[in-house]
Amino acid sequence: MNRTFARSATGLVALSLLLAGCGTQNTTTAPATNTPTTPSNASFKVGLVTDVGGLNDHSFNHLAYVGLQAAEAKYGISGSVVQSHQTSDYLTNLTNFAQAGDKLVIAVGYLMNSAVQTVSKKFPKTKFLIIDDAITNRPNVASALFNTQECGYLVGVMAGLMEKQKGIAQINNKNTVGTIGGMQIPPVESYMAGFVAGVKKVDPTANVLVGWANSFTDPASGEAIANQQISNGADIVFPVAGATGNGAITAAKQHNVFAIGVDANQNYLAPQTVMTSALKAVDVATETVIGQALHNQFKSGIVTFDLKNKGVGYAPPIKAVPASIVAQVNHYATLIESGKITPPSTLS
Amino acid sequence: MSAIAQIFTNPELYAATISMATPLALPAIGGTFSERTGVVNIAMEGNMLIGAFFAVMVAAATQQAWLGLLAGMLAGGILSLGLAFTAIRLQSDQVIVGMALNLFASGLTAFLLNTVYGYNGTPTNTPFLPSITIPFVSSIPFIGPIIGHHDVVVYLMLLIVAGSQYVLFHTKLGLRMRAVGENPEAADTVGIHVARMRYLGVFIGGMLSGLGGVYLSIGLLNAFDVNMTNGRGYIALAAMIFGKWTPLGSFGAALLFGFATALSIALQNVGISANLVSMLPYALTIIALTGLVGRSRAPAADGIPYAPSK
Repeated sequence: MNRTFARSATGLVALSLLLAGCGTQNTTTAPATNTPTTPSNASFKVGLVTDVGGLNDHSFNHLAYVGLQAAEAKYGISGSVVQSHQTSDYLTNLTNFAQAGDKLVIAVGYLMNSAVQTVSKKFPKTKFLIIDDAITNRPNVASALFNTQECGYLVGVMAGLMEKQKGIAQINNKNTVGTIGGMQIPPVESYMAGFVAGVKKVDPTANVLVGWANSFTDPASGEAIANQQISNGADIVFPVAGATGNGAITAAKQHNVFAIGVDANQNYLAPQTVMTSALKAVDVATETVIGQALHNQFKSGIVTFDLKNKGVGYAPPIKAVPASIVAQVNHYATLIESGKITPPSTLS
Repeated sequence: MSAIAQIFTNPELYAATISMATPLALPAIGGTFSERTGVVNIAMEGNMLIGAFFAVMVAAATQQAWLGLLAGMLAGGILSLGLAFTAIRLQSDQVIVGMALNLFASGLTAFLLNTVYGYNGTPTNTPFLPSITIPFVSSIPFIGPIIGHHDVVVYLMLLIVAGSQYVLFHTKLGLRMRAVGENPEAADTVGIHVARMRYLGVFIGGMLSGLGGVYLSIGLLNAFDVNMTNGRGYIALAAMIFGKWTPLGSFGAALLFGFATALSIALQNVGISANLVSMLPYALTIIALTGLVGRSRAPAADGIPYAPSK
């Protein structure tokens, strides 16, 4: 009898590990689009490795995948994607694509730096793209960096001007806004630093609350942090925290104050609440570098995406934002583009 | 100093405490039901995740949040029957099965999320459970903002705390459940169906943990995200032990952990390191588990399969 129990317990463990694998390392080979107008480069294989955030992060992993799909449609290349379940998967996932003969392997995220270093050395003929981190000492690695402090600054300017605007129902007289970071890492902090500087530029007496969730996957704590900031008078909250931020947007909606989306246009999450979004065009970056690699124009080193080349920006604001404010925000955008203003990338 | 004083006089701190305690108290009481009947339950995290996912799925499909709540509780209960069956019928190691169920639930919900809804996530028009404003109470200064307005699950939780304490310690059914957890042989001798009591305990436990997940997905929010429970099922395990395997004690412990979480959020506004303060709930958990708060004794037959001698 005892052996039976042991076997069933082991079986259950094995089954669940198998299923756990299915869920999080769900490899999908997206078929190349074979419309007559698309050139066929199906032998040009591109592999995309997400970080632990996964493809349903509503944010940069998702956008990288969108970029891959766009490249498939445009160039007829064949792309495939694998999601990383834990940090130790990075090396394996990158190696698998390189070994399978993929011409370009894309690593999404700052957290994959050392894995890309290792694998790019081992496979010198394979091209690599890492998003959100700088690797400059490899001839076969391109790094896409985003000046997200610039778009953070612009939505900050918009928030500061909204605070000073009279007659908007959602805006109270406390002159307070809040921002919530997932973790204190450079790609998150740069958004927040720009935001704080932007608010202070147009509204020097504003009180900017800064909170940290220490997780990108805890919407309940995002909601609690936003509630806390709102109870302290914040009437615009700017979460930079992946799925955690969705909770902050829900809190803003429930209290009838404004939120600002991040990375992608998140207005669809709460159309009356998300007044704009700070955008980071990971999709454009991914598609661009795939095109360069395909046409033998791959350049190693840092590619910076900023306001000027439309790598960052802000989503069209909702109607509650007066046109006069949008005009001023656009004015600040030209000041950044011309180099007259350089927003900070770290919080002081 | 006035900044610190302002934190403690802001009713939001205490409202957040209750809100953050709810998804800990429910699975802690769920675990209590299971362990009081003699089945070690570390699968609360998995039960919560399954509950959270199926609540969104049914709520979105039917556009009825209450049906979502029922579905989430049932899903939690059904998953826990896996634990009950292997623990009671197959007499497997309950800790291993519990861990397996957690991994299973995490994988299954991530898989279903991507398969059913794709990478854009659950529908944004998913209905959520209503918040309740208690008349009169909500207009009392200070107290009102703390307890006068919460999600309906918070008030359900308070009823469940009182109801569970009553059932477990003041009814015949509760006595029988505790009897099979302390001394199944003796309980069997006087004609109590040991296996049936244990199935019941584990099933109730699964439903309550499922409700904890429901609160996260369609109470606080109206969406499911991968692993959105964020380890709360394990903190609930600590709350159950801290609370000495009683519903009231579990609730007290959950309030303490909830307060630590709420305080760690509030302290960030006065410039205390976020990394430092976010340790608070976990540091408290360790203190709780090292027995500094007094001895906490598990039911005598907790985790021991019962094989009736023929």
